[in-house]
Amino acid sequence: MAVKMDPIHQFELKPLVSFGHIGNQEIAFTQSALYMFAAVGIIALITVVATAQRSVVPGRMQSMAEVFYEFIGSTLRQSAGHGSERFMPLIFSLFMFVLVLNMLGMIPYAFAVTSHIIVTFALAFLVIGTVIVYGFMAHGTKFLKVFVPSGVPGWLLPMIVAIEIVSFISRPISLAVRLFANVLAGHIALKIFAGFVPALLAAGAWGAISPLPLALSVAVTALEFLVAGLQAYVFATLASIYLSDALHPGH
Amino acid sequence: MRLSTEFIAGVLAGGILGWMCDHFLGTKPWGLIVLLMLGFLTGVYNVMRVSGALPKAPTTKQDR
Repeated sequence: MAVKMDPIHQFELKPLVSFGHIGNQEIAFTQSALYMFAAVGIIALITVVATAQRSVVPGRMQSMAEVFYEFIGSTLRQSAGHGSERFMPLIFSLFMFVLVLNMLGMIPYAFAVTSHIIVTFALAFLVIGTVIVYGFMAHGTKFLKVFVPSGVPGWLLPMIVAIEIVSFISRPISLAVRLFANVLAGHIALKIFAGFVPALLAAGAWGAISPLPLALSVAVTALEFLVAGLQAYVFATLASIYLSDALHPGH
Repeated sequence: MRLSTEFIAGVLAGGILGWMCDHFLGTKPWGLIVLLMLGFLTGVYNVMRVSGALPKAPTTKQDR
């Protein structure tokens, strides 16, 4: 019994419908895009469809949608403070999108879209772009105060401003890398631990200890569900913290 | 995980900025050297901010 151990294979993009080439790059509707559409469909199902009746006593689906909404609403209010209601659609969409994609990725044989750094970076870029655009729109040049923390001695100021600027640029990177790295590492770990089971079974007497990695992969699966939910929450929280800079610069 | 990504992101941001500075302004190799060091500082600063070692810094009032 030949056991193939290729933990990276699951992240390969497979074009479903090809639209031709630009240069050497194939432009195609990949399974990644399909999963994103599926995620949007699921979100629409549990928000739009479930709340269509608008009953005062919510049904099962409607109360689930309300729980999500209240949860994100309170998170946003706590981290971004006054005036943050206008960002509710953005943060709620981001949270639901990341959460549903993470959870879809946990289905066996499914593809984890958020394990591709370009996807998470696009989301992070959207957040930081909103911060910059809204910051300048609402505060004009006063938005630049975000780089100048008050209460810093004058001789230290040039250094701190330089550090703050680099720190600001590092934000989308850390936002993207955190989500991507967690999902990627989790899926690889899961694949490797699960791969030990058939490998040990194939190795004769070693098969006796194969329940060990099996139990471990069950535990890692549980952990990955936690990570999937937690990372969506962390993404939404950090996005709203960054948006609070756009709302109240120079705090 | 949170702290390590903050640090790595700081260094990465510094490195990318330095590389771009070198590439477009022709300041090779000084942009990369200076900005990578600044990136390390930023990484440390980020970690300190996230771990709450800068309690009084006003920019970080709402950070966790």
